[in-house]
Amino acid sequence: MDRTLGVYDDILDLLPDVENPTPLVRINRLNPKAGFALYAKLEWLNPFGSVKDRAAAYLIRELERDGRVNATRGVVEPTSGNTGLSLAGMCAARGYRMRAVVPNKVPLEKKVLLKIAGADLDVVTDELCPSPGMGEGSINMAKTRAKAQADLYVMPNQYENEENARAHYETTAPEIWRQTEGRITHLFVSLGTCGTVTGCARYLRERNPKIKVVAVQPTEGHDVPGLRNVAQLDVSKLFDPSLIDEILEIDYELAYTRALDLARREGLMAGPSSGLIFEGARRIVERDTRGVGVMVFADNVFKYVTNFVKHIPELAEGTSA
Amino acid sequence: MSDYSHPEVLVSTDWVRDHVGKPGIKLVEVDVDTKAYEAGHITGAVGFNWQTQLQDQLTRDIVGKEGFESLLGQAGIANGDTIVLYGDNNNWFAAYAFWLFKIYGHKDVKLMNGGRVKWLNESDKSLTVDVPKITATRYTAQQPDLKLRARVHDVIKAVEANSHNLVDVRSPDEFTGKVIAPPGMTETAQRGGHIPRARSVPWATAVNPDGTFKSADDLKEIYLKKAEVDPRRDTIAYCRIGERSSHTWFVLTYLLGLPNVRNYDGSWTEYGSMVGLPIER
Repeated sequence: MDRTLGVYDDILDLLPDVENPTPLVRINRLNPKAGFALYAKLEWLNPFGSVKDRAAAYLIRELERDGRVNATRGVVEPTSGNTGLSLAGMCAARGYRMRAVVPNKVPLEKKVLLKIAGADLDVVTDELCPSPGMGEGSINMAKTRAKAQADLYVMPNQYENEENARAHYETTAPEIWRQTEGRITHLFVSLGTCGTVTGCARYLRERNPKIKVVAVQPTEGHDVPGLRNVAQLDVSKLFDPSLIDEILEIDYELAYTRALDLARREGLMAGPSSGLIFEGARRIVERDTRGVGVMVFADNVFKYVTNFVKHIPELAEGTSA
Repeated sequence: MSDYSHPEVLVSTDWVRDHVGKPGIKLVEVDVDTKAYEAGHITGAVGFNWQTQLQDQLTRDIVGKEGFESLLGQAGIANGDTIVLYGDNNNWFAAYAFWLFKIYGHKDVKLMNGGRVKWLNESDKSLTVDVPKITATRYTAQQPDLKLRARVHDVIKAVEANSHNLVDVRSPDEFTGKVIAPPGMTETAQRGGHIPRARSVPWATAVNPDGTFKSADDLKEIYLKKAEVDPRRDTIAYCRIGERSSHTWFVLTYLLGLPNVRNYDGSWTEYGSMVGLPIER
C-alpha cells in the first residue's frame, strides 16, 4: 500500500483516518456570514459511500478480533441501508455472509444496492401503532435471526455497540481537529444511531470543552432516511444528551430543498440528511455570526432520487420524451 | 398476576421455557409479520398465518368451523391440549387467535405474557428455525360462540340505544380522524373518525415497557376510572380490523373480568365504510 501513490492492497485500506481524512469543503455562496467559516465533511467519499463505513469497519474488526465471524458465520444487522451497504461491502471483501434487515420504507435504490453488494435481505413492515418497549421490527427480526441461527449469524448491533462511537472518537473527530487546526467552534451532526455525535463530541470536548455540539433532527413523521427524531431515539443506546448543547428540530421538507440548494449553488451533491444539517448550521451561523463550523455530511444524493421526486415533484417534469 | 380475574389464562416466558415439549402443551405463534415465524420461533411451536389461515379466504369473515378444525388437526392439536399462544406486536394476533379458540370452544387457552419480543430479549430463551414434527389429529370444534363477537348490526343497535361501553383501541390520530389507518396499511375505510360515544383507550395503554400486561390495579384505573367503562354494562371493543381490539377484549374479559365483552372484528374498516352511519370526530 502506498497512499501517496493511491495504491491500496485492499478496499478496506481506503478507510479514512487522521492521516487519510475525508475532505472538508468550505461553504461559500450559501454561507450567510463571512465571519463564520463553515465546512462540510464529505463522508460519502468513504470507500462504500457513506459515513457508516467507519462504524461498520470497527464492528467487523471487533467480531474478527473475537473470532465471532468466519467462513460460515456472517453478519446480520438492522439497517436503514447505509450501515448495511458498508457491512455488505466489507463482508464481500472478507468472504463473510451478510443479511440486512431493512424497514420497508427504505428507498428502493438502497434495497437493490444491498443485493448488488451481495447481502440477503429481510424487509419488514415498519411499526404500525407504536407501543413502549416493543422495539422496532427490523431490530427484532435481526435479533431473531441471530438467536435462531447463531451458527450462521452474529449481530454487531450498531444501536448499542460502543465500537460505533469509538470509530468516530478515533477517526472522524481527530481528523476534524487536525483539519481545522483545533479552531473548530461548532460541530453540526444529525442523529441516527448517535455513534457520530457521541464519538465526535467526546473527543472534541476533551480537546476544547467550549466547542458547541449541535444536533439537527427532522420533525416527527419525517421521511429522511437514516435519521431519527428524538422521539425515535429510545433504541439508540449511544444517545447521550449530556454531550449535545443544542438539538434543533427542523421541518423535514427542508432536508430536500436545502440539499437541492447545496447541489445547485455549491456543487455539493449532498443527500437529504446533509440538507437538514445545513439548514440547522445556517441558522446557528446567522445567530452566532463568528466561528468555525464543521458539518458531517453523511451521504450524497445518489441513493435518494426516489425520495427527491416524492418531495420535489417538479424534478420529474421534462424527464420523458 | 394473582389480582387478575382469570390469572390462569396468562403464563410467563419462564413458565413457557419450563414447559416446552411437555405432553399436552402446544405452542402456537401468530404474528403480524407473517415472516417472523420462519426466521425463528420457540422450539416445538407451530405458526399460524392470520391472513391465510385465520380468515375465510373468500368472504370477509373469520375462518369457518371446518377450516378451524382442519387447521388445528394439521397442527397436531387435540381437544384436551393446553394451548399457549404468543406473537409479535405485543400479542396482537396471538390475542386474535385466542379469541378464535374461545369462539370455537377450546377449553384451555393461554397467552404468553409479553409475547415474542419479551422472549427474544431474554438471554436464557432460545429460538429455532426447525419446524416441529407433527402427528395430525382429528380436532372437533364447538359451534361458534357468537356472544364473543359483535357484528355491525349489534354496534348500530348499541349506538342507537346508548346501551354499551364502546372502546376504541386505535391510535389517537385514527380516533380523531386525522388518519383513516396507520401509514402503509392496505386495509382502510371510506371515512375517518370514531363511533359516537366511543371512549379512546389505545391498546398499548394496557402494557408495560417490557410488553407484559399492567397490574390489575393499573388496568382498573385506566379502563374503569379514567375511561369510565361501566362494568355493569355490556362492552364492545373495536379497532381497524379486529386484532388490536382482541388484545383489549382479552384485557377486559380475563384480566378485569368484565361480563359480556365483544370484539367487533369488522371494526373501523367496516363501520367507517357503511353508508349513512353516524360518525364522530
